Amino acid sequence: MPDDRLSPILRLERVSRKFGPIYALRGLSLTVCKGEFIALFGPNGAGKTTLLKTIARILPPTAGKLEFCKEPMGRSVGYVSHRSLLYADLTGLENLLFYGRLYDLPDPSTAARHMLRKLDLEKAQDQIVRTYSSGMRQRLALARALLHDPELLLLDEPYSGLDRHGSRVLLELLRDLKKEGKTVLLITHNLTEGLEVCSRVLILRDGELALNRPREEISAADFERTYFQSVDG
Amino acid sequence: MLRPLRIIFRIAEKDLRIEFRNRQAFLTVLFFAFLILVIFKFAFDPGEETVGGAISGILWVALLFPGVIQLNRSFQQEMEEGTLFGLLLAPVDRSWIFLGKFAANSVFLLAVDGLILLAFLALYNITARIELLWLAPLVALAGIAFCAVGTLFAAMVSTIRTRDVLLPILLFPILVPVILAAVNATREILEPVEAGFFANWVQLLAACCVIFTAGAFVAFEYVVGE
Amino acid sequence: MTGRNELGSQLARAGTCLRRAGWLLVPLYALIAAALYGAFLYAPTERVMGEVQRIFYFHVGMAWSAFLAFFVVFVAGTAYLITKDVFWDQLAAASVEVGVVFTTIVLTTGPIWARPVWNTWFPWGDPRVMTTLVLWLIFIAYLILRSSLPDAEKKYRFCAVFGIIGFLDVPIVWMSVRWWRTIHPVLITPSGFEMEAAMFYALMVAVAACSILLTVLILLRTSMRLNSKLLQEIRQRSLEERREKG
Repeated sequence: MPDDRLSPILRLERVSRKFGPIYALRGLSLTVCKGEFIALFGPNGAGKTTLLKTIARILPPTAGKLEFCKEPMGRSVGYVSHRSLLYADLTGLENLLFYGRLYDLPDPSTAARHMLRKLDLEKAQDQIVRTYSSGMRQRLALARALLHDPELLLLDEPYSGLDRHGSRVLLELLRDLKKEGKTVLLITHNLTEGLEVCSRVLILRDGELALNRPREEISAADFERTYFQSVDG
Repeated sequence: MLRPLRIIFRIAEKDLRIEFRNRQAFLTVLFFAFLILVIFKFAFDPGEETVGGAISGILWVALLFPGVIQLNRSFQQEMEEGTLFGLLLAPVDRSWIFLGKFAANSVFLLAVDGLILLAFLALYNITARIELLWLAPLVALAGIAFCAVGTLFAAMVSTIRTRDVLLPILLFPILVPVILAAVNATREILEPVEAGFFANWVQLLAACCVIFTAGAFVAFEYVVGE
Repeated sequence: MTGRNELGSQLARAGTCLRRAGWLLVPLYALIAAALYGAFLYAPTERVMGEVQRIFYFHVGMAWSAFLAFFVVFVAGTAYLITKDVFWDQLAAASVEVGVVFTTIVLTTGPIWARPVWNTWFPWGDPRVMTTLVLWLIFIAYLILRSSLPDAEKKYRFCAVFGIIGFLDVPIVWMSVRWWRTIHPVLITPSGFEMEAAMFYALMVAVAACSILLTVLILLRTSMRLNSKLLQEIRQRSLEERREKG
């Protein structure tokens, strides 16, 4: 269904966001199509997280327009942030059950257990999250974001805190999502792993898009050079 | 129709479950309140019966001031791992989040206050009388008004470094009518007067309770998120 | 991106505030002169309280204006929440600043008058006195809250909410103190003297003078605040332009 894949699900038109007098995003325009897997690179402070939060509709843009082509899109956004978004004093299962009920899942219990199995956390499901290792926590954060089977997944540096095993689980998960035709926007500093899965590459610098190309047009070897070129100006 | 109620219940239940699992905070707040009762007791002669206006003031300091700690904690917890952000991401109205947090805070505070009330009656040698039962609705009304405004302001100061000092500074001036009504009504219970105004004070408390809860409910929309 | 137009309109508004304040200067000086004449020469000396009662004209004038300032905070806060226009926030902040100064003057002139007349510095239990005191506390808390938040849209929103709640709290405080008073009878009534016609006229002029003074100060502060914001914006923008060039 190539036609379906090309249909845009999200459009940003000259979106700006200011914090006080400082710009985080400057007139950024972007169209995201269904099934795309976008890797978003950029130095610290480039506005990557702000962009994700704007898309998640947590931050209203100061100027410009944010448009979802299929409502209600707000519900089907999954978000993995720097922080785990988990309650440290609840168990893994309780966390997922709580969020499942917030998202009004028909059967939160089955969904929660399914996700725990998928992310290899079954054994730890009745442990309090405070006792988790950072890798387990990160995987549970992913489970939380995927729990309601979102159409659009926003990942903010999901590799940080993951050990080798965790990275592999994540990579497989991302491949699965790609196969399922989910749309993913991934922020990462990890150039190789980001490039491996994505279908489009964005580089954000000072709140503007410095690069927006399909993956095929860029070779992995060239990319690093392109990245540093565009970042250094 | 019932979905908001269900979500509010879930949020409150989650908070109380965490509190129950981690009883330390409850005990700390309780101990702080108890300490206030004991310290003020030193202001009176050991042999003397202490009844009257002053001790109703002391009682209300012990009932409300420690509550500030809990209000700040309740949002601190949500900030720590970004869970407030998680709540905002979910298809949940901001006002439901408010009501959930508000309900949990109220249950917490009323549980502390129930125990403190008993400690007060014992420490200050209050003879058991049937009229003392009137203290229960007073504490409930004032506690709920306190938690409504407190939950709103706690959300407001949750990102500020000096929130622990800031919250009482914002909260108590606004709550002057509640405190005035509560202290004076308590005084009339402890020291019955012929032509009292007890009913008026309770009415005022009830009115404050409704007005503050409604106000905080409306205003919460504006104080969460960026 | 916000264009030059927005900067221009901000600059124009700061200028308008300043100009309005300028227009009011002539009536302000005239009224202050008239109020001084009215309070110290025209109005007769009060028979019982003596000369000290003359502070009353400015005490009441300031109290009325302070209340007006907090009403402006309420209106501007509401306008901010509806329009999200920074101007309203700056107006509210300016009104709180001036209002707190005026309230401080009220709470200082009050005791000066009360001590010799009623033998107490502070007549607790009077609804007017208590409400003024609570207003003072609330809006000092407002200023502390304001200075604790980083300068962004969130700060304006929080301050608007707090200012509105603070103002709406006033009638409830008033009611509760009035009840408190009826229950515990207070022997002194702050306005317990007969006002002669001349005193009334002097009072009216003093109230008008204080209100105009308040308006001028709020306009000046608002204009100053808008200008300093503008300066910040321009500095940021010049950084932007340098960035774009190089």
